[in-house]
Amino acid sequence: MTTDTLHPLAADYLQRLRRAGRGLPRGRLRELLAEIEGHLSEAIDPSASDAQALTVLDKLGEPEAIIAADTPDPDELPARRGTKEWAAIILLLFGGFILGLGWFAGLILLWNSRAWTTREKWIGTLVIPGGLATSVLIGLIAIGAPTKKICHAFAGGVQHCTNATGQSTPILGVAVFAVLVLAPIATSVYLARRAA
Amino acid sequence: MAARVRETAISQLRRGVLEFCVLALLRDGERYSYELVRALGDADGLVTTEGTLYPLLGRLRREGVVDTTWRESPSGPPRRYYHLTPDGQAALDGFVIEWTRFRDSVDDLLGNGVLR
Repeated sequence: MTTDTLHPLAADYLQRLRRAGRGLPRGRLRELLAEIEGHLSEAIDPSASDAQALTVLDKLGEPEAIIAADTPDPDELPARRGTKEWAAIILLLFGGFILGLGWFAGLILLWNSRAWTTREKWIGTLVIPGGLATSVLIGLIAIGAPTKKICHAFAGGVQHCTNATGQSTPILGVAVFAVLVLAPIATSVYLARRAA
Repeated sequence: MAARVRETAISQLRRGVLEFCVLALLRDGERYSYELVRALGDADGLVTTEGTLYPLLGRLRREGVVDTTWRESPSGPPRRYYHLTPDGQAALDGFVIEWTRFRDSVDDLLGNGVLR
């Protein structure tokens, strides 16, 4: 890297480009950075005024636009959202019900696909591992958990029992369960849209 | 609305012809990336953002119509020199013929449109 010989504004531009390009395949980003760095070092003298530097950077365009232009277009990837991508989405969502194994199959398809960026793949992996099966499992455990009952014995052998769980617990439980169910569904919709 | 339709059409036209302009610039011999980008950037109305030409150069390389060699530069980082491959030469020759037909037809039609 010869970034230290660049004009400060040019070096800053290169940093922005590097950040914007995190979703690109690594080799491709490296090539792009090398080319743009060559351009900057040729077009902007390190001692140039800020105004001169900004003129060159304006002509070059926004880093985000350059990255967008380098993002593979549909021509290069004929099946952006093909059978494999749909299979990955469906298996990530429902595959957990097949002894949990289906979800792992979905995971392999997800990471092997070129339709998603690394960031999107991580979202697909982490929200929520196991997909809907995990949500249902957690829900069942919550329902099955014994509710504590407080019983008061009165004279004469009459017993009066009340639920120990406060009023807020069922509402909270339902909210948590809703999030658990909605999160994997939202992830599926997100993955389907990003791959389109 | 009309302005947007026109802008979309122009940007699609640009995108379609730019890669052949790159090939044409390489017809007489190799050039390095910055030279190519400046030559295209200086052509009136052809390029809006010079930076987006670098991804285009990368695509041409992957398509095999150009090939590159890195060389040391007298100043600054090494330069990547581009030259046409036989495939690139053939693509350019084919485009020149098609473009001439296309341009003549469009000129004719546009000319008629004005007269009517």
